[in-house]
Amino acid sequence: MASKRTYKWGVLFGLAALPGLALANPEVIKLTGDSKNWAMQAGNMQNQRYSALKQINKDNVKDLKVAWTFSTGVLRGHEGGPLVIGDMLYVHSPFPNKVFAISLADQQIKWKYEPKQDPTVIPVMCCDTVNRGVAYADGKIFLQQADTNLVALDAKTGKEVWKVKNGDPKKGETNTNAPHVFKDKVITGISGGEFGVRGYLAAYDIKTGKQVWKGYSTGPDAEMLMDPDKTMTWTDGKMAPVGRDSSLKSWQGDQWKIGGGTTWGWFSYDPKLNLLYYGSGNPSTWNPVQRPGDNKWSMTIWARDVDTGQTKWVYQMTPHDEWDFDGVNEMILADGINVKGKPRNVLVHFDRNGFGYTMDRATGELLVAEKFDPTVNWATHVDMKTGRPQVVKQYSTQAQGADVNTKGVCPAALGTKDQQPAAYNPANKLFYVPTNHVCMDYEPFKVEYTAGQPYVGATLSMYPPPKSHGGMGNFIVWDAGTGKIVKSKPEKFSVWSGALVTAGGIACYGTLEGYVKCVDANDISKELYKFKTASGIIGNLNTWEYKGKQYIGVLSGIGGWAGIGLAAGLEKDTDGLGAVGGYRELKNYTELGGVLTVFVLP
Amino acid sequence: MKKTQFVAGIAFVLVALSPGYAVAADGKPYKVAGGNKVDKVTLEGWRTWRALACERCHGARQEGMVGPSLIESLRRLSKDEFKGSVLKGRPEKGMPNFDGSKMVTENIDGLYAYLKGRADGAIQPGRLEELK
Repeated sequence: MASKRTYKWGVLFGLAALPGLALANPEVIKLTGDSKNWAMQAGNMQNQRYSALKQINKDNVKDLKVAWTFSTGVLRGHEGGPLVIGDMLYVHSPFPNKVFAISLADQQIKWKYEPKQDPTVIPVMCCDTVNRGVAYADGKIFLQQADTNLVALDAKTGKEVWKVKNGDPKKGETNTNAPHVFKDKVITGISGGEFGVRGYLAAYDIKTGKQVWKGYSTGPDAEMLMDPDKTMTWTDGKMAPVGRDSSLKSWQGDQWKIGGGTTWGWFSYDPKLNLLYYGSGNPSTWNPVQRPGDNKWSMTIWARDVDTGQTKWVYQMTPHDEWDFDGVNEMILADGINVKGKPRNVLVHFDRNGFGYTMDRATGELLVAEKFDPTVNWATHVDMKTGRPQVVKQYSTQAQGADVNTKGVCPAALGTKDQQPAAYNPANKLFYVPTNHVCMDYEPFKVEYTAGQPYVGATLSMYPPPKSHGGMGNFIVWDAGTGKIVKSKPEKFSVWSGALVTAGGIACYGTLEGYVKCVDANDISKELYKFKTASGIIGNLNTWEYKGKQYIGVLSGIGGWAGIGLAAGLEKDTDGLGAVGGYRELKNYTELGGVLTVFVLP
Repeated sequence: MKKTQFVAGIAFVLVALSPGYAVAADGKPYKVAGGNKVDKVTLEGWRTWRALACERCHGARQEGMVGPSLIESLRRLSKDEFKGSVLKGRPEKGMPNFDGSKMVTENIDGLYAYLKGRADGAIQPGRLEELK
């Protein structure tokens, strides 16, 4: 009897030790494992944006034709992309956040969902009214609305199953991120770093919408779900516990309460480690003089246990930000990356600050931190022992001070890369990264906090880097093991579109002028296909298969920070307009309007 | 009825006379030299514009983005209409109410003067200094 019991417990323990295999939402794992679907915004939980489909390949991609198009009926910036599950396609729009379920058989709209949202959230949204798409699991489509309502819709009918309020727009809290389903939870973040929002990540039960945990980016250890003795960070060349009050000690007074560190990017998940990964954003305000200290844990890579939210490890990339180098960009998980002769299972992150980071994703060790644009000048390098960037005084807006215009900082606030997600090619273990190539002048000034009102505190001018190719973007290939650019393809404007790489040997991305481009994955300077869509592209390229044919789809619809900002707001007002011709020119290529374009071989 | 008209009449006269002290001799609510040097009130208006990040919706040059072009609006709106829009907002169109902001309520005249100067083409976009 006793031995039998022991045996049973042994089995249970064994299951618990393999949580990824035993408990992860088997449906989503199965769906993403079949390349016919595009069942998550990044194609899989590792954020790889890779597809094993190869019907469309480097030899025939030149023959691509438009199969069908679909208008969302909404203007403004269209980020994210469609999901495809079986014979259905689900696509979203920016505010008012419509969702369409489209039958792939005949492109009929099976159902449409349009939430009623208070338009007063519009001015509280930072950089246009974008939304980065929906998630699927358990027969439900999850929509994270701008007004912070997280909604579960019946995937068959579009009827609301549950709805929960994730934040408060009256305090400046809004949402633009896509929800992500890991195991039995839907994970979402919060936007509002420009409104003094205190960032957090939250997990809700996919069945009921009940909040399971919520972990803040700043504040007391318990509210961040940090254990001072067990949560680790890179310290003097090794991992060490963060210690007590690691955030509180890094802020003056109560500033952490309005300290930013918002969480509006893409999240990834390692089923074996049961860890989810994401980045926290800029500290509020943009005036560094007003918030002394390292401002932990803004600008940080986080690894949290999916079930409890407890923080396994953190790494702060830009302590005491002085440039709005928001750390929210995606964490891509890749296995067997050769770092100094050893294969490592890593997390790769291309930060706004211009450094590409490679971390051991189990332990949080810093392995590589190198510039992924040679014009990055605000820091000479990252000290690999302390993990801290070595800031150049000339470009330090803190050192130059408030009401001083610090000139020539590269990259600009929108970063060497913003939210536009990169792709990983397991065939050659290289990363395909859409980047910005923009510098700035930055003048911080004092601001006072009023709940729900902008708390920015800096004026910026942005322009292409002097002494470069004159354009404002590059599409690059990156070796995360060595931290080196393998190849760089210049683009006229920022590449603000998520990349796709496939087993067909192609990499595809969109441009702000509105082109879809596919290049040879082994030599990205070879442009194999180009098509001008209805509007500028800030959406991501996705691919799927239906009835034996491979399709590639992308949302067009200029806007977002890149589109609106570049087209309208970034002229150097006092220094003459010579340097900014490039930005204004975007108007010569594109207009607003959301359209999904789907490509197929003839 | 008559009384109402009388009161309105006085109000009209006051409004017509009031620019005498608040406005420069040419009838403009701002003073400007060289396009980027302005009187103190207008300067505070620009600082308010900057601090409340109005450019996020209306554009760095007030040319309009998510929100309307203020270059055009300020040619059309009366000062009272302008104040009403800013302080009470236009929630149905997405314009928030700024009556909760001390900086806005204290500098609403300067904000009007600054934007009027922009609409008139007299004040340049970008950084301003105080006219001494």
